[in-house]
Amino acid sequence: MKKLWLGTLVAIGLFSIFQCTHKETALTFWIGGAPQEVDYWETLIHQFEETSGYNIRLVRQPTDSDQRRQGLVISLESAQPDPDVFLMDVVWIGQFAHSDWLEPLDSYIRSSGQSTEPFFQRVVDLVDRYDSSLYALPVYVDGGLLYYRRDLLDKYGYPSPPQTWNELLQYARHIQQEERRKNPNFNGFVWQGAQYEGLVCTFLEFTSSNDGGINISNRIQLNNPSNTAALQFMQDLIRKYHISPPNTYTEMKEEEVRRSFQNDNALFERNWPYAWKLHQSEGSPVKGKVGIAALPHFEGTTSASTLGGWHIGMSRYSDMKKEAWELIQFITSYDTQKKLVLNLGWNPGRQDVYTDKDVLAHLPHLQELHQVFERSVARPNLPYYTQVSEVIQRYVNNCLAGKIAPREALQQMQEEVDRITGLYEKE
Amino acid sequence: MKKNRDIYTPQEVRDAYIFSLPLILFTLAFVLLPVVGTVATSLFREVTFLSRQFIGLKNYIILFTDVHFWQSVRFTLLFAIVSVGLELVLGIIFALVLNETIPGRGLWRVAILIPWAIPIAISARIWELIYNFEFGALNFIAIHLGLTAAPINWLGSSLGAFVAIVISDVWKTTPFMTIILLAGLATIPHDLYKQAMIDGTNYFQRFFRITLPLLRPVLVVALLFRTIDAIRIFDLVYVLTGGGPGGTTTSLSLYAYQYYLTGDFGYGSAVSVVVFLIAAALAVLYIRFGRFTEAVT
Amino acid sequence: MTEDRIISLLKFFAVAFLVVFCLSPFLWMVIVSFSKNPDFLSPRAAFVFTLQCYTDLLTSKSVHLIDYLKNSLIVSAVSALLATFFASLSAYAVTRLHFPGRVLIPVLMLAFSMFPQVSIIGYLFKLMTTFGWINTYQALIFPYVTLGLPLALWIMLSYFSQLPAELDKAALVDGATRFQVLRKIILPIAAPGALSTVLLVFIYSFNEFLFALMLTIDYKARTIPVGIALFEGLHGQIPYGHIMASAVVATVPMILLAAAFQKRIIHGLTQGAIKG
Repeated sequence: MKKLWLGTLVAIGLFSIFQCTHKETALTFWIGGAPQEVDYWETLIHQFEETSGYNIRLVRQPTDSDQRRQGLVISLESAQPDPDVFLMDVVWIGQFAHSDWLEPLDSYIRSSGQSTEPFFQRVVDLVDRYDSSLYALPVYVDGGLLYYRRDLLDKYGYPSPPQTWNELLQYARHIQQEERRKNPNFNGFVWQGAQYEGLVCTFLEFTSSNDGGINISNRIQLNNPSNTAALQFMQDLIRKYHISPPNTYTEMKEEEVRRSFQNDNALFERNWPYAWKLHQSEGSPVKGKVGIAALPHFEGTTSASTLGGWHIGMSRYSDMKKEAWELIQFITSYDTQKKLVLNLGWNPGRQDVYTDKDVLAHLPHLQELHQVFERSVARPNLPYYTQVSEVIQRYVNNCLAGKIAPREALQQMQEEVDRITGLYEKE
Repeated sequence: MKKNRDIYTPQEVRDAYIFSLPLILFTLAFVLLPVVGTVATSLFREVTFLSRQFIGLKNYIILFTDVHFWQSVRFTLLFAIVSVGLELVLGIIFALVLNETIPGRGLWRVAILIPWAIPIAISARIWELIYNFEFGALNFIAIHLGLTAAPINWLGSSLGAFVAIVISDVWKTTPFMTIILLAGLATIPHDLYKQAMIDGTNYFQRFFRITLPLLRPVLVVALLFRTIDAIRIFDLVYVLTGGGPGGTTTSLSLYAYQYYLTGDFGYGSAVSVVVFLIAAALAVLYIRFGRFTEAVT
Repeated sequence: MTEDRIISLLKFFAVAFLVVFCLSPFLWMVIVSFSKNPDFLSPRAAFVFTLQCYTDLLTSKSVHLIDYLKNSLIVSAVSALLATFFASLSAYAVTRLHFPGRVLIPVLMLAFSMFPQVSIIGYLFKLMTTFGWINTYQALIFPYVTLGLPLALWIMLSYFSQLPAELDKAALVDGATRFQVLRKIILPIAAPGALSTVLLVFIYSFNEFLFALMLTIDYKARTIPVGIALFEGLHGQIPYGHIMASAVVATVPMILLAAAFQKRIIHGLTQGAIKG
């Protein structure tokens, strides 16, 4: 019996030692995203391994964005040497940079004789720089778009997609009424309204397209008439005009919206550029019938698109920084960015790829996208952004659910955000 | 019943402590130390992107006016009361029904153990699918049975989500309760019932005068542990609802965890300490009123 | 007579209901894991039988289900064995020896078992970070042993206290040490209790979530519950089919355990509860 116990203890000791001294010889790269995207990454990374001779360990993260962030936060909070390189959602960079988890990239860029010129300057300045250091580079730029059923607009005599929200409302009500005769599940306009980060993006677009927004002159200002009107409109879409379904605020996230549109159940869709490829894929009921345009705006204002996307960064705790930088260079190189857009439909962080002949031949709408990205609006890049976002999500969602009026929602939102700011801004 | 304290042989005492050393060390290092550490951390402003500062009770003062904290408290307490109450009632009913030899004993005992034996995270994923608005089994059954015309939005409304969480929790814990209560029932001598039946009492009288009082010690213990388990619920809300919709199903443990994730260890620790205090208060209450010490000695 | 019949009928239905009630989610899990689309209950889709989910899981090298299973089994087994061992030592001391703390230790352990995990994890995370143990087996084993000790102690206590002290005396008189007595005499008799303890702590450790969530990062140390909850998607947008297939694979050990040892498990649970 004693031998059994002794044996067990020894075994644990062995396991412990095994766990401790397992030295990392591979560069760890954390990647997430839709499943088919990760498959392509594996081929890309394989190419890099061959040319560089490095050993890359590609670790797949959960598809859910929050879960990806959680994994990163925990490993960075505990100063792990892994992962060395990872992709970050734009809104995480604030927290990561301010918590000193990211390696500043300026010296690497300088010593390899490069610059940030080829990238979208606006994007880089908005989200990648903190305290005059550069912490990340854009790999994939995203912005909200309006997808529409070109065939249906033609059928009902609308020559072009709506420019203003009122036009959208008008088209949607008309067409929805008609289409519902044979398809009772048809909706005029589907968009992300569930209580999650995506709702803040939608909210930002509606409000910014009414000259409102979230971050105004470097302060969070939510409680203004433009926002109230915009939020009212959002609520009305569901509750008053009924062109958006009731599960908009309970379930509609990117995929639910996309599937609804793709399954011939919607006229207009607000979604990210990724949906385009899927809508045009084999077997899609809406293949060849889809058009994209900038999102509508309110009277007398301009369209707004929320900046999204993924940026690449290096962990300050990485034990293979030189190799990590080379990987970053590879991924942000012209060639790789071109491959990404051609194979995954990932809009490059590099501007120069947008004028590439092959790219434009394959994806002509990239030109429009380029313009959309240049005018994108960003969510506040605060280190405590997640808490602010949580407040906004909650109130907007409750408003959509009809539990609170827009004015009150914005007022209370502002109070709560001010409280949070007060907690975290003292240094 | 005092032990004769004076008769401790140094040999025995030494042996006893050596034997108990691993237990004591582990508990000190991985339970006591962290709890003390958490209390200490709660007195600091400890945020990953700010400098560390001693702020005394400031976190608690902020907590006091934190609407979402109180929302979490309400949810956690309400959940505990409803869920434990249901488990208890259902558990007693099942235990009474099953309290006699039944064929296929092995089979149903295994069946009854499985919800308890499976990780909550996994069963939560299954329940998530069952509660799905579009293609979940529950809506399918409810509509086909004519119980409701339109599909119910379980996880999308705060009431629906609350009910969903309670159902999933009761599903998991009732079998466990049933087993415990069954064992308790088995200790009640049959003769008592025989005598009562001869005396002409009916079923309900027998239940309230014999069964319940004799079951009391087991009930109290089960209640104590189950309530405290309910107070510290995390797994189920994390996987099934993520604390939503709108933070309405955020249990206290989840609330603290969310703060750890945003890098705010100070505030998260303060919430954790509150959870600890609530659990402690409940334990004291039960022990006082449950005459628990009787059961121990 | 008819009253008996009615009661028997009632009992039968009650048992049947209970069994169906307990098992139907698992039945659902299995069905979905064999379906091509998880949404076959909605009007437009239909159930198509396929083994695709399983083959995907087992052939894709980026899904670490087998790693999670391995980690869970190792961590749980080691924790269970250690906890039982340490608890046996303490239980022996408490039931056989006279020392200050004899009553205190069990009562305190009971109190400690009620500490909320969230009140421990915050600081434990920082502690593990300092040791450099994040994402290792020991990060989980040490806490799991500690969390399993109260349960283990109470079960072993109830078994040991039923064994009379005379058993020891004979051996002690012959010159055996206390440890030898424990090892050679007490434990063999209380073996069923030890088995129950090992099983229960194993199940508890296997199912643990919060600690595993915060103390592990990737497949090197991550356990099943976290692995399933944070499932890395495969093909298909909402990978419910794959999640269910993983769940089936992940729950097989537990179901086998429960089936094989249901008597031991129930006995252990009730001992712990009845005795207080």
